Amino acid sequence: MLLSYVVSPTIILDVALMAILIIVAFSIVRMRSLFAIVMLQGVYSLVSAAWFVSLDAVDVAFTEAAVGAGVSTVLMLAAMLLANRKSDPVPISKQIAPLLVVLIAGLAMFYAIGDMPAYGDVNSPANTGVGMDYIERTTKEIHIPNVVTAVLASYRGYDTFGEAVVIFSAGLGVLLLLGLNGNAGRWTARPTGRQIYPPIAPSANSRLIASRDNIKLSKGSIIEKPSSVNLRKSKNNRLKDKGNN
Amino acid sequence: MHDPHVILKVISKFLVPFIALFAFYVQFHGDFGPGGGFQAGVILAAAVILYALIFGLDAAKKAFPPSWIRIGMSLGVLLYGGTGVLTWILGGDFLSYGVLAHDPTHGQHYGIIAVELGVLCSVTTVMIAIFYAFGSRQPEVNEDNW
Amino acid sequence: MIIAFLSAVVLDSNLVWTEILQICLSCLAIASGLFFVLAGSIGVLRFPDFYTRLHAAGMTDTLGAELILIGLILQSGFTQTSLKLLMIGFFLLLTSPTATHAIAHSAHTANLKPKLGKHSFSKVQRDRS
Repeated sequence: MLLSYVVSPTIILDVALMAILIIVAFSIVRMRSLFAIVMLQGVYSLVSAAWFVSLDAVDVAFTEAAVGAGVSTVLMLAAMLLANRKSDPVPISKQIAPLLVVLIAGLAMFYAIGDMPAYGDVNSPANTGVGMDYIERTTKEIHIPNVVTAVLASYRGYDTFGEAVVIFSAGLGVLLLLGLNGNAGRWTARPTGRQIYPPIAPSANSRLIASRDNIKLSKGSIIEKPSSVNLRKSKNNRLKDKGNN
Repeated sequence: MHDPHVILKVISKFLVPFIALFAFYVQFHGDFGPGGGFQAGVILAAAVILYALIFGLDAAKKAFPPSWIRIGMSLGVLLYGGTGVLTWILGGDFLSYGVLAHDPTHGQHYGIIAVELGVLCSVTTVMIAIFYAFGSRQPEVNEDNW
Repeated sequence: MIIAFLSAVVLDSNLVWTEILQICLSCLAIASGLFFVLAGSIGVLRFPDFYTRLHAAGMTDTLGAELILIGLILQSGFTQTSLKLLMIGFFLLLTSPTATHAIAHSAHTANLKPKLGKHSFSKVQRDRS
């Protein structure tokens, strides 16, 4: 009770949420099970969304909750299903350089804290520059209550256009690299120019694949078995290498 | 007639339309409350992804064919850029929506709506594209490897 | 918080009896919701195995959250906010038991056996035979 008179309750809430964020971040670093890590990343996004709500940044919180906690968790799960379930432990010798980088970056940030404006400062650059200008002009020029939408779509339309192009190129990259049906890289060309791809993408069970391929071969199919097997092997090796790194 | 996921199927069949409806609410209510094209696109994609998770990827591909993805992706960016080009043609700067109507305020409204629709198109289709691309690859590890 | 509310009710003589009832009921609902959330959290920490912990967590999700939402609806009265809260409550009522069911079902499918005490059926049967 006494504490709430000294410190505002919002500050206590903010500090508590940030403490949860730090705990979740440390447990993400310490974990080896990728499934738990993906789930904890969702938890991290949800807690930071709650923190943004507490900071009155509702639009950012909404985006964080929808993208970070919702869709990206599912996308990470779908990607994780294709990799190993556990990451291999990293040897100590490989941990020193990242630790140095993190330490230096963290120290630089602590050094920069001194120049930051106070929390909610009226004279901070964010509140004195174009920010006030946008807030004043939105009511006069655009007549919509939500200033964030006005800034995003109208005053900062170029930036949002850039974002849309970034999303577009991300999707384009995914389509070019992976393909829509999961069969990119498994196409085998024939001298006649015809392209045939396996009706079902190869699965982990090699015996099943062998039997399926045999059936196909006996039917006179034109799937090139060795190439697909090689591809799978190289991919497995690549995954193992990733785990080691 | 023993389906182990009957509860999940019934509930998500009920929920998917509401999620899509909420996405459109976020889209068109973005001028008055939090939200906008990006959030609405993600929520709309989440509806399709939930459908795919419960009913399988093939059913989802029937409901939202992969051919829509290429169209939607480019249509979204085209809608955004096209609004800018339209303002050019009507005599304004790129993406200055005031020239879209007689009243500059209404022009701003139209411009914002068009631009947000473009963002909605792009984001929805790209999210679904990423999910389809990852989801339709078969896992190479055994299922009991958890 | 509850004491502050009740003192406001007692001291403020301008309140109509419906408002007093509204405040009392909403306080009661929020307090019982908080009780269930607390009980669920203690249960998640203290219960011995997966299924009992899941039972506690599911109760937090469903009963605790629903009661708190009902309290908030009573607080805000006939407004748009209250309609939105009602819809949130409705969807929570649908989804959180479904999520609990899905988790329990997948654990059962993955052959996770519940921890059985000394009075369990299998032990009794084994002793008898």
